[in-house]
Amino acid sequence: MRRSAFAAYLGVTAMLAVVVLSVPSEVAAEPYFAAREGMKCVACHVSPSGGGMRNQFGNIWAQTMLPARRIEVEDVPMWTGALSPYLAVGGNLRANGSYVDIPDEDTQSEFDVEEMRVYGAVTLIHERLLLYVDERIAPGGSVNLEAYARFSSADQRWHVRAGQIYLPYGWRLEDDNAFIRQVTGIGFATPDRGIEIGLETNEWSAQLALTNGTGGGSEIDDGKQVSLRAEHIRALWRIGASASYNDAEAGARHMQGAFAAVRTGPIVWLAEADYITDDSFPARRHMWAGLIEANWNYKKGHNLKLTAEYFDPDDDIDEDEQNRYSLVWEYFPVQFLQLRAGARIYDGIPQNAFQNRKIYFVQAHGYF
Amino acid sequence: MQKRVTACLACIALSGCAGSGEGLDANGRPLEESEGGDVLTANLASIQTHVFTPMCTNCHSGAAAPLGLRLDEGVSYAMLVNAPSVEAPALLRVAPGDPDASYLIHKLEGTAQVGGRMPLNGPALPAETIAVIRQWIAEGAQAPSQDASSSVPSLTAVWPMQRMSSHEHIVVVADRELDATLLAAGTITLRKTDEAAERALVQGLDLPRIELRSQLPTVVAIAPPDGGWARGAYELRISGNAPLAVADLNSRAIDGDGDGIAGGDFVLTFKVEETR
Repeated sequence: MRRSAFAAYLGVTAMLAVVVLSVPSEVAAEPYFAAREGMKCVACHVSPSGGGMRNQFGNIWAQTMLPARRIEVEDVPMWTGALSPYLAVGGNLRANGSYVDIPDEDTQSEFDVEEMRVYGAVTLIHERLLLYVDERIAPGGSVNLEAYARFSSADQRWHVRAGQIYLPYGWRLEDDNAFIRQVTGIGFATPDRGIEIGLETNEWSAQLALTNGTGGGSEIDDGKQVSLRAEHIRALWRIGASASYNDAEAGARHMQGAFAAVRTGPIVWLAEADYITDDSFPARRHMWAGLIEANWNYKKGHNLKLTAEYFDPDDDIDEDEQNRYSLVWEYFPVQFLQLRAGARIYDGIPQNAFQNRKIYFVQAHGYF
Repeated sequence: MQKRVTACLACIALSGCAGSGEGLDANGRPLEESEGGDVLTANLASIQTHVFTPMCTNCHSGAAAPLGLRLDEGVSYAMLVNAPSVEAPALLRVAPGDPDASYLIHKLEGTAQVGGRMPLNGPALPAETIAVIRQWIAEGAQAPSQDASSSVPSLTAVWPMQRMSSHEHIVVVADRELDATLLAAGTITLRKTDEAAERALVQGLDLPRIELRSQLPTVVAIAPPDGGWARGAYELRISGNAPLAVADLNSRAIDGDGDGIAGGDFVLTFKVEETR
């Protein structure tokens, strides 16, 4: 190893160690990263339940632990997102190429910008009071996703967030089209306005949110949505439960779910099952959604993700169930860059071509 | 090793669980519930069956529908046709006769000013499907045929349900075509109940405007005044009583109070709480 590279390695290691020690109960990213490392979502993200902007530890971890190779640039300090003690920024860009095959229809292939999101955080009182914004600026014009103020207790165990937030429920997967995210209606496209109280201890992470229950739209009734997520975290496994009740004029919606993860050698397994009762239909519907995912980190910088999903849109109707299977290769060639290639195979009732589509995609994902 | 085997077995157990679809329509519903036919055609019932219900309502349904846009069967027409977009208020979601100026088409074709292409993060609708929706709009965005089983006209409040923000429209839909000449001063009144300041809504004056979004069925929208609605509690009253009652083209007064008999005022109470 060249001396300069070794020095940079030592510097990175020392920096990582400092950040780890300074953020004892806060670290994560995609759920399988957190499960692999035995850490919590808040370890790597500003938001307590994950997703969005990475904190200093998350930025350094993503640059050092994820990529197959790190390109060292001498005399340039490592990016941490912090522009000053008060201001931090971040972002994500996902550009896709996709090929979609829907039975009995012409195939589609296109290049697309899935999203460009920018994050900003202003720390007004160190480790206590923070203002945060998550804005999707492309494609199209700007759309606000999250905007909140967070106040944390001195020991960092408790926090209160108020504003527009992603709701706490289940695994916060990157893929909003996963059945467990699409059917529950809790994903990156449907932040809601309200307040959240959170608890973080060494082995527990819990959030309770009270929101309008309108998916980011204006309030339309007296009812509110209550969402609860609690997770018990151990080094090799974790288990959690979620519940949500949306008391809406259009019909109440109850959701209960359980989720878990376990690491077996280089493979991280994720699972979630949700049961939803929805009164907004003319007749009450009971739905099931489930996911099992294996993430095989077979080599540094490489992950193979295999996912099987299940969706029963109406428990009272037979033969309407849907499956989705995904195989995705994720490659982090260098820091700040992820390349993905994969296939998603939908398997639904034969008379619905859309439920039987096949999607093949490649994606370039830049993040900072 | 045991955990890996268990998880693998669970994965295998999940596979092969897709329904056979026996006895169901293309939306996975029992055939007796089916409407709209097997082939997508340029009418809302068909578009609802083949596009909105199977592809959009996983997200755009119920109270938590993104940006308040519900595309459930029965409400999609009133939420779309002649309704201003939330993301781009200068555009209507569906402008009858003008698909190029319809924000719905912008969202489906990926040319919208704001936000991602719909279906979000999913495959774009086939060009043929969008072409059918364009055709429906170009042909006037007609409403589905009405189930006017009742002998008297009735009204339903589409928006607000109980509350709304200061710049939103009040939207009321009838189950048939109403006599538009009666939708004017004297028949529609809005009262700010916390101030008891009653005033008539007259189109063209410096007061909130009545917009006839659709004739068949009649969809009435009441636009906010310049600067938006003031915060407070409101009561909207549409007259179903003599001497000046809102009526259909056969001069049957609306069944405003829902007792199955012509007559009675339609009353909608709501609050304006949020300002933008």
